[in-house]
Amino acid sequence: MGIVIAVISGKGGVGKTTATANLGLGIALNDKKCVVVDFDIGQRNLDMILGLENRVVYDIVQVMDGEANLKQALIKSKVNDNLHFLAASQTKDKSVLESTKVEKLIAELKESFDFVILDAPAGIESGYEHTIEFADAAIIIVNPEVSSIRDADRAIGILDSKSAKVKAGEDVAKYLIINRIVADMVESGEMLKSDDILEILNIKLLGKVPEDKGVIDASNQGKPVILDKKSIAGQAYKRITGRLCGEKVDMKDIEVSDAGLFKRLTGMFR
Amino acid sequence: MKSKQYSVKIYEVNITDEVEFMEFFDNNYTLFKDHLIVIKGNFPSTIKTYLEKKKLSYLHNVSLPKGRNRKALEEELKAEHREIAVSAQMAQNEVERLSSRLHNNLTVLDEMIRSGREIDIQGDLLLLNRVNSGATIKTTGNLIITKVVEGSIRCLGNFMMLTASPKANIVFNGVEVDNNLLENRLNRVELKNNEIIITPVLKKEINWAL
Repeated sequence: MGIVIAVISGKGGVGKTTATANLGLGIALNDKKCVVVDFDIGQRNLDMILGLENRVVYDIVQVMDGEANLKQALIKSKVNDNLHFLAASQTKDKSVLESTKVEKLIAELKESFDFVILDAPAGIESGYEHTIEFADAAIIIVNPEVSSIRDADRAIGILDSKSAKVKAGEDVAKYLIINRIVADMVESGEMLKSDDILEILNIKLLGKVPEDKGVIDASNQGKPVILDKKSIAGQAYKRITGRLCGEKVDMKDIEVSDAGLFKRLTGMFR
Repeated sequence: MKSKQYSVKIYEVNITDEVEFMEFFDNNYTLFKDHLIVIKGNFPSTIKTYLEKKKLSYLHNVSLPKGRNRKALEEELKAEHREIAVSAQMAQNEVERLSSRLHNNLTVLDEMIRSGREIDIQGDLLLLNRVNSGATIKTTGNLIITKVVEGSIRCLGNFMMLTASPKANIVFNGVEVDNNLLENRLNRVELKNNEIIITPVLKKEINWAL
């Protein structure tokens, strides 16, 4: 039996889909069977970021409606055999999702994978609610800025009230990834510190991902940045997926810039 | 200021006959040598030299605090007791009045109020956690929040206790409270004669590192 993790953010454009792709691939690279599911019905992106857009034949709505079986719809990654992908429908919209069908699909995925990663749509509408409803855990992606934090806070609030696990009296595990950190800006006080974010959201920190220009190119090419050994964001996702797979990986302090350290050192000799 | 307090024996006298006075003092010198002599009225220079020669301490024409007799003291003590009893009763009444107001539907919450939540309380609320941006707290009674507020507050009670919350939007009995006035660690906000009064309960923390 696998674990179901919903990747949520509340606000759009914070890097949810990119994170999902990298988490999925990172878990697969750790020799765990993993499936990433795009729940953003009507606006699918995950296929592109994984470089699998030309392989999509059947989508999640067709599987739920019985037009195709799960085996037909699952797409194996070109990069790693452990990673599978289930695409969202691009033609339908979020209203087609139904709780019973979602529950059945997730139960089926849980049978054959160690990790089931659900990429939630932005916002807090029904599509979001269906994504989190049957999740065992949630990974919340935020950017170090107030609007992202507030939207994430709202999304966590809904998670805590609408999740099936919470309704059964259990806790949904919640983990935070702070994405797109610019060390210089944190140091100068323009960007929120991770300690402040953690105090507001009050959930466990899973990892911090620095801003990295390579991410955009990686997405455009369909090769998640985790494959790039030199990329600092890729390294961050490596550490995060290591933690998810039970390794003990220390938190790297990416909020101190190397330039800042250099400046400080030269300042000492002046 | 350095001060000491003494109890002294005082012999107060009116001089009519200088010779008689000196004779009397010669006879009773041992008795008077530790007294403070206070001369009232006429103070002839002969007496003055006499007292100085005898090394007696003296004062001329001073008003002395009058001692009270035992009966007067007892009366005073009784009155004091009565006063204490009355003020104790008043304090007791005040506590009862306040606590009946407090215990009237007091809700205690210890959970983070996340964005989008609206807590509507009939009565008083004691909240032991944060109120995040985008959340709203409404009470018909008094409100005490021990952690920082970044959301909205609508309080209709007699008082609020709030920490410094520069991002909060606070409306107290229909009047918006200026957050800049909540500058202390804990502030009491109350309505007195249609005026909002903010008093510090815990002062700002001192940063010794600075």
